[in-house]
Amino acid sequence: MARIIVITSGKGGVGKTTCTANLGMALAKRRRKVAVVDADFGLRNLDLLLGLENRVVFTAVEVLAGQCRLEQALVKDKRHPNLVLLPAAQNRTKDAVNPDQMKQLINALARVYEYILIDCPAGIENGFQNAIAAAQEALIVTTPEIAAVRDADRIIGLLEANNVKRIHLIVNRLKPAMVQANDMMSVEDVQEILAVPLIGVVPDDERVIVSTNRGEPLVLSETPSMAGSAFDNIVRRLEGEKVPFLDLSVQNDGFFSRLRKILSTKIT
Amino acid sequence: MTSDASLPSSLPDSPVAPPIIETHQTSQVRFKGEGGHILLTLPPESETAESPIGLTWSEIWQQFKQQLDAKERFWQPNTAVHLSVKDRLLDSRQLQAIADALSGVQLQLKRVYTSRRQTAVAAATAGYSVEQQSAVAHLSQSGGEAGQAMEEPMYIQMTLRSGTEIRHNGTVVILGDLNPGSSVIAEGDILVWGRLRGVAHAGCKGNARCLIMALQLEPTQIRIADFVARAPENPPAQYFPEVAYVAPQGNIRIAKATDFTRAKDEGKG
Repeated sequence: MARIIVITSGKGGVGKTTCTANLGMALAKRRRKVAVVDADFGLRNLDLLLGLENRVVFTAVEVLAGQCRLEQALVKDKRHPNLVLLPAAQNRTKDAVNPDQMKQLINALARVYEYILIDCPAGIENGFQNAIAAAQEALIVTTPEIAAVRDADRIIGLLEANNVKRIHLIVNRLKPAMVQANDMMSVEDVQEILAVPLIGVVPDDERVIVSTNRGEPLVLSETPSMAGSAFDNIVRRLEGEKVPFLDLSVQNDGFFSRLRKILSTKIT
Repeated sequence: MTSDASLPSSLPDSPVAPPIIETHQTSQVRFKGEGGHILLTLPPESETAESPIGLTWSEIWQQFKQQLDAKERFWQPNTAVHLSVKDRLLDSRQLQAIADALSGVQLQLKRVYTSRRQTAVAAATAGYSVEQQSAVAHLSQSGGEAGQAMEEPMYIQMTLRSGTEIRHNGTVVILGDLNPGSSVIAEGDILVWGRLRGVAHAGCKGNARCLIMALQLEPTQIRIADFVARAPENPPAQYFPEVAYVAPQGNIRIAKATDFTRAKDEGKG
């Protein structure tokens, strides 16, 4: 039985697409059969983040119009053939498809793939309704800012109203130093408002920008990164493993003490 | 892209062939000069046999405005416009919006062709000449057109931004850039006097002798007939005007524009 998970946030720019790309890739690394679906018609980005833009020939709209078969539209990832992308049409708007058609597409994918991750567009209009139409579970992405948390709260309400009951929270772009200085909402603050189970905390990392521009999700990187291992951990928790949360503040101390250690060894 | 770089060599797992696309007259908003007046055609209402996923009014409006901007300088002031909407339902507000936008570039909406009674009534009420055609008559007419020669080239002057798509039953000439995310689908050749960075599909009805040329060819994807090619992973340091064509070996190749014309001349002589 495939798991159909929508990744959504309400607010734009909090990292839905980045999360979708990284979680999809991390699942594929674990040899799961994954389909990532871009539901952001007219403003598609997921193909860019996965570095697959120039392989897109058909999109979901052509499949629905009967101009090609579903398999023809799926873009296989060049690094992990277990991962496929169903691209959105760039030349259409969100009104081009309706929730029933979206359901039809996703259910067809669910017969073949173990995980289906749907990258939801920002907002709560048609695009959102399409993206959640077939979903059984949701991952809410939010940053520790009041605007993002407020929108996430609204989204959770809408998801519950639409019978998506299994909801988990990802707190993205956390800056531990700012939290310690009391300048940023902490994970606990966010959780207190949203009251849904936490599945991961992704620290703010400049390397995400680099990996986005290159079209290579961070989880593929050879050199380990905090954000990358946070995504790996989320995937392990999705699969039911009990993984302790990265203690970001301790990790920070650890980094400085390690740095000090390196410096002292060089001196001697 | 260096001269004669064979694109498909950089992609061993070459993707599925693109479709042979029927650029239906009706799949896009179109302006066409026709004996002293301009014929403006809107795509038909959704869920026809040709396009099960029809365009919404807001999408049509976007296309209409874009086309209007791109072609502005070809029109003589006060030219009459005949609007053909087939089976699409237009209310008086939408008709008024079209008429207003047209008068903004000094064009005058004069006549409306429609197969829907409500649209005919709305147009007549607003004071335009109306010609109501039966839907059946229209079907047979479009069937007759399918076998005919390509249309005259479409010349547009605009930057094609992400999400813009131009379809034409003939050659397309673009004075401007194609940004990534935009696409041009033509039955004939595609000439870009600018940078081609989006998707270009020439000979979309299957003519593999069609060409794609650009001052700077750095496409996301190029397609000629049912051949596909991607740009190499590592972009070249310098760009020259280039021509993409289908080689006798059956793949898309790129040649420097200067070499390409020379090779053609030698072939003749």
